[in-house]
Amino acid sequence: MRGDPEAHELIAPGNLAAVLQLLAAEPGAWTPIAGGTELMVAHAAGRLTARKLVSLWEIPDLRFIRVDEGTIAIGAGVPFIDLRRNAAIAAQLPLLARAASWLGSIANQSRATLGGNLVNGSPAADSSPALLAYDAQVELISARGRRTLPYEKFHTGYKRTALAPDELLLAVHLPRRFARHRQYLRKVGTRRAMAIAKVALAGTALVEENVVRELRLGAASVAPYPTRLYRTEEAILGNSITEETIRTARRALLAEIAPIDDIRSVAEYRRRVAANLVEEFLRELMHSAAPVDAPLMNAALAAWNSADESTALTQMLACCGARRWASAMVAMRPVQDQEALLAVADRIWAAMEEPDWREAFACHPRIGERKAAHASAPPSAQKSAQWSRQEQSGAAQAEARVLEELARGNAQYEERFGFTYIVCATGKSAEEMLDLLNRRLGSDRATELREAAEQQRQITEIRLRKWMAA
Amino acid sequence: MSTAATTRSQTRIVGAPVPRKEGIDKLVGRAQYVDDLTREGMFYGATVRSTIPRGLIRSIAFDPHIAWCDFTIVTAKDIPGKNHIQLIVADQPCLAETQVNHCDEPILLLAHPDKHKLLAAVAAVHIEYDPLPAVFSIEESESQKEIILGEDNLIKSFLLEKGDVDSAWARAAHIVEGEYRTGPQEHLYIENNGMIAEWSAEDGITVWGSLQCPYYVHKTLRAVFDLPDEKVRVIQTETGGAFGGKEDYPSVLASHAGLLAMKSGHAVKMVYDRMEDLAATTKRHPSRIRHRTALDADGKLLAMEIDLATDGGAYSTLSATVLSRATLHACGPYVCPNIRLRSRAWATNHVPYGAFRGFGAPQAIFAMERHMDAIAAALHIDPPIDPVELRRRNFLHQGDRNATDQLMREPVILDQLLDRALAESDYHAKRARYARENLASPVKRGMGIAAFYHGSGFTGSGELYLNSLAGVDVTPDEKVRVLVSNTEFGQGTNTILTQIAAEALGLEFSDVTMVPPDTAHIPNSGPTVASRTGMVVGRIIERACLQLLALLRESAGLQEKSTREQFFAACRRFRAAHGKVESLCYYEAPPGIHWDDATYHGEAYGAYAWAVYVAQVAVDTVTYSAEVEDFWAVQEVGRVLHPVLATGQIEGGVAQAIGYALYEKVVLENGRMANNQMTNYIMPTAEDVPPIHVVFEEIPFRYGGYGAKGIGELPHDGPAPAILNAIRDATGVPFNAIPLLPEDLFATLAAREHPENLWEPVAS
Amino acid sequence: MSTRWDSIRFTVNGQPRTVHAPPMKRLLDVLREDLHLTGTKEGCGEGECGSCSVRMNGELVNSCLVPVLQAEGAQIQTVEGLAPDLDSGGALHPLQEAFLHCGGAQCGICTPGMLMAAAQLIERHPHPSQAEIREGLAGNLCRCTGFARIFASVVAAATHAAPEQEPDAR
Ligand SMILES: Cc1cc2nc3c(=O)[nH]c(=O)nc-3n(C[C@H](O)[C@H](O)[C@H](O)COP(=O)(O)OP(=O)(O)OC[C@H]3O[C@@H](n4cnc5c(N)ncnc54)[C@H](O)[C@@H]3O)c2cc1C
Ligand code: FES
Ligand code: FES
Repeated sequence: MRGDPEAHELIAPGNLAAVLQLLAAEPGAWTPIAGGTELMVAHAAGRLTARKLVSLWEIPDLRFIRVDEGTIAIGAGVPFIDLRRNAAIAAQLPLLARAASWLGSIANQSRATLGGNLVNGSPAADSSPALLAYDAQVELISARGRRTLPYEKFHTGYKRTALAPDELLLAVHLPRRFARHRQYLRKVGTRRAMAIAKVALAGTALVEENVVRELRLGAASVAPYPTRLYRTEEAILGNSITEETIRTARRALLAEIAPIDDIRSVAEYRRRVAANLVEEFLRELMHSAAPVDAPLMNAALAAWNSADESTALTQMLACCGARRWASAMVAMRPVQDQEALLAVADRIWAAMEEPDWREAFACHPRIGERKAAHASAPPSAQKSAQWSRQEQSGAAQAEARVLEELARGNAQYEERFGFTYIVCATGKSAEEMLDLLNRRLGSDRATELREAAEQQRQITEIRLRKWMAA
Repeated sequence: MSTAATTRSQTRIVGAPVPRKEGIDKLVGRAQYVDDLTREGMFYGATVRSTIPRGLIRSIAFDPHIAWCDFTIVTAKDIPGKNHIQLIVADQPCLAETQVNHCDEPILLLAHPDKHKLLAAVAAVHIEYDPLPAVFSIEESESQKEIILGEDNLIKSFLLEKGDVDSAWARAAHIVEGEYRTGPQEHLYIENNGMIAEWSAEDGITVWGSLQCPYYVHKTLRAVFDLPDEKVRVIQTETGGAFGGKEDYPSVLASHAGLLAMKSGHAVKMVYDRMEDLAATTKRHPSRIRHRTALDADGKLLAMEIDLATDGGAYSTLSATVLSRATLHACGPYVCPNIRLRSRAWATNHVPYGAFRGFGAPQAIFAMERHMDAIAAALHIDPPIDPVELRRRNFLHQGDRNATDQLMREPVILDQLLDRALAESDYHAKRARYARENLASPVKRGMGIAAFYHGSGFTGSGELYLNSLAGVDVTPDEKVRVLVSNTEFGQGTNTILTQIAAEALGLEFSDVTMVPPDTAHIPNSGPTVASRTGMVVGRIIERACLQLLALLRESAGLQEKSTREQFFAACRRFRAAHGKVESLCYYEAPPGIHWDDATYHGEAYGAYAWAVYVAQVAVDTVTYSAEVEDFWAVQEVGRVLHPVLATGQIEGGVAQAIGYALYEKVVLENGRMANNQMTNYIMPTAEDVPPIHVVFEEIPFRYGGYGAKGIGELPHDGPAPAILNAIRDATGVPFNAIPLLPEDLFATLAAREHPENLWEPVAS
Repeated sequence: MSTRWDSIRFTVNGQPRTVHAPPMKRLLDVLREDLHLTGTKEGCGEGECGSCSVRMNGELVNSCLVPVLQAEGAQIQTVEGLAPDLDSGGALHPLQEAFLHCGGAQCGICTPGMLMAAAQLIERHPHPSQAEIREGLAGNLCRCTGFARIFASVVAAATHAAPEQEPDAR
């Protein structure tokens, strides 16, 4: 305990009018203290600068939860424990109830107030993302009267708010119109409980006929104060949720936020995780919004979605010969559209390791070598061989000299790296492929392995597209 | 109840879950911790500390707005004896006089009757320095560009050699190298360091405090105050957690409180708040360990070359002994004919690192056990060899010799422990399942394993040097009292030692109490460290009790088979004849213990506890966070003296080690701990600790108290490598440094993601 | 700079008490220094560890963050109030009994706060699930036990204390 209790004055007038009068008489001289979970921490550390404090704890005019026709009004003096126990909030503002249950521990929740959380203005405040996603209004009060403003206008800078020196936060008003919205909230801290958010995201979205009609995203710890993500919302609004939308949204978000390095985390981490959270929300929307039997579904994909396991597996193995990859693809059915399929394919490929890669490489004939699939080969191999011929058509027209050099290079390559040279041959001439081969012979093994895996990824993508176009 | 009714293996009280001896006091709020005590006219003390990591003290000025006449002020000049803390080497000043060597180093002490006046006063002491270049890493220290300690920055080094490493490389079928790093860890005992001191010319100095080793503090106070033994009295108050963190530091704090008491003429209380305790007291040594390992075509270890380095901080404190234990655990529980291990503790300008549960072993075992998985991943043997099989092929067995050529005389049941751990955790089936499921899931799961041993008691000849004395006496009101300097700080010392005495004497648990830990009344049975209490001190108590029975039979007419009443009657007769009933014994080494400090060969420890741990983790690729979902701890620790306490030791150690692996990061900025608050030094909460399944296999150890071996430190050794091995299993990525926080996972995992995710706006 | 001291009245463990103290003095310090109830501990002073947890008007609070003026008129329960008749031969509280036998306390420094959090938990959830136990105790850091014996103690106390509870009352 570094603070000196005798260095601070504290009074408890017990009613709102008396507090407002006090603030009006000496604007800025008195600091309100509600649950004290911010100010008493500063006090213990010897960092409490306020000399005169006035208690808001248990002032009845500040501690209420009122359910009106169109809104739920929550007094600024309501501690989080009340929020999480309130049935109306649990039913209609589930994100707020959840945020309340994540704030500190039970002992903190029984003292920490909603008003203190907002006025304190921490960029990481737990209630803020939910309030932003719910389009909350805040009501301020002073002896001069009351005023209401959108919560998103309340924070004006790092730990700065729209409150005048004689004003108190009176209440938060939340519209009751989110029943049809899809809702999302995730707080990312270093541990499960008692964590300050390193990133948090709340979202509400109205999706009709697969198109995002309404969207609000509120985030914590990505800017000097809790913020709506307007530009990210814009990038998504009016679109159907596709892989492209997700990519666009991620880009918009990364351009929009400006998190910092501090003692709890680093900016780069916060950026990427924030983007991941937006993506996670959009994927939830995607899965809930799009029935799998939508009429627009690609015919090959639809057939694959409902095919028996071994047929589905054969079709995937033709595109990429790694068995672990192919069975994971099959496990991901049903896949909704072309883009989703390509994205899933990439994600699974990224999780593969050397043995899988090599298995896939081994399914290709050497560049320049024409190996007809044996008639007794499994159907996946026959299809694969046919595709290989198309892809390597550039080699078919090559001069004998180039083919010879390719063969020599292939052998050298195999000796050096222990697997066959693979390159995404589509559209490349034999000379180009030879040139590439010679250059890649200079790489170290790890780099080359990655390069080959990337080539395989491209080949797989082209094959998947062809397969769906068929 | 008859005194001879039990045998060593058929016991009544040992092995039974009797209630903790001081349990009720703790549960009703009656137990007195140091901050719960006051003394008449007591002052409060505070410390003025350095704000730079290294420099010469140019001037000290006192801001005139403070009424300094109300304060007691102590500087190095007030020290009557030697200005240093007596540990291994006396290089750490009690108060810095001319130079500071780390941030938060104590320079000056203040006392005042009102504790709230101290903060402003501390801030009003202005110290100016001539800064000197500082060293903040093992690399900088070993480069020796700046010499900050001795002639070469080296606090201590060891060389352990066995066989012929150099000729092994040519014969090797595989050579695998790796580098492993561990960070500092804070003990985070929930009770901060605290001490009350009183001084008088007649009685000398008396301190009451939160501490592990009364006689360590005693030794320092004797030197600092230049007093004879009998004028220094150290009393342990109830101690709210220690974990090694109250092994060496209380000597510093006791000296400080004592100096203020002497100068002020008042009792002085110094209790650190959390910020000061975190910033100024010891932590676990950070380490960097490099392995180079040769294996034959079957995956058997041929040779190990290990380079082990620790950051010891600004003074040598206990770094040498920590390094020794790290050295002795660095090669794992494996057979390897050729070994060369060089270990060095380097000085830096960090707050001195100190003792912490495991004492160097967790660092060394982290490296060894991560390395075993790295080896398994690198070997291309047909049929393939997995991490389990690799370990099994190399395990020590009874009759083998370990790295120091110690013959494993006692049974070694690593294979059995491994089988049990695999079966309990369903290891193989889960690994296979996760390998399938992970591909399509954003949460990647994996299983990891670690096998290890932990030496019980002091290293090598340490126990002989200690020459511990302990025993029991019987009071006129018919209480048997255990006389030891070993302290209770949660691990159960009081309970297990009274169990042992009650068992050996054929009495009830309630007949036996502990003598309060006060150097005026207790013999020196050594420090309460190194997992030695149950095994070493327990055995002395057991022997002292048997000696007492023999004495009473010989000279007080006690029958071979006798009742509790007959026992106390014999005690009365003995007291009438001899004045007191007391039986003390010295430590007696098990036969065949030979240790050579020069070559680091021989019987490093009297006994080893053995374990195989398994971790199940989940890595969330959305947040890059890793969580331990389930944990299995299978171990052989000799006889389990108390099943509930023993299980609690394992669970607590595992939880603390989970923090070590995944949560707890000491952020050092310019040598100062920047996150010295509980809000940002993150330990696992009740929601973060997984279920921990604890299994004991018991093989009583002949020379331990009722067959006990050490248990307290063991559980801190295995979790970190098991967890990181599981993360490697889950993600395919080897992580070789702890703590491994989400930000660290991110740095590596994100680079492997789809390139689209890497898109970042170009800075304009 | 010296502030006015207030006379503050509240009830502690059923006893009405009046203290004379600076209004910004922490409830924790008032309990420990003015009322000599040292069972309540300080581990951090910043609301993080829960060693100072007491119950105030039926809710769990960290007494290190409560200015004593805000406790005016409150009903406060500390660890000393769990087994009030102990000295006159009364029994331990079922939670204390369970902690004793299940190994819920090791060094004991977190124990008073932990017991108060557990008492609060059991009052609200007489048959708590594992998740409820973990959440209910998450603000109380214990460095010794790894929490497992504490969870076991709570389960044992809940079973013992409310055996007649309807199974669907949870
Ligand atoms: C251990 C611990 C854990 C925590 N964990 C979290 C967490 O997970 N997430 C999180 O968001 N926060 C957390 N906090 C922070 C804190 O608990 C919250 O911000 C809490 O909501 C603050 O409310 P209070 O009533 O206690 O604030 P107080 O400390 O009383 O006041 C905070 C600020 O708000 C002002 N104020 C309060 N009410 C009003 C009003 N009606 N009008 C005008 N000004 C007002 C005060 O003057 C002061 O500046 C934690 C705090 C602690 C100690
Ligand atoms: S002392 Fe109050 S929460 Fe730690
Ligand atoms: S018992 Fe020691 S901190 Fe919990």
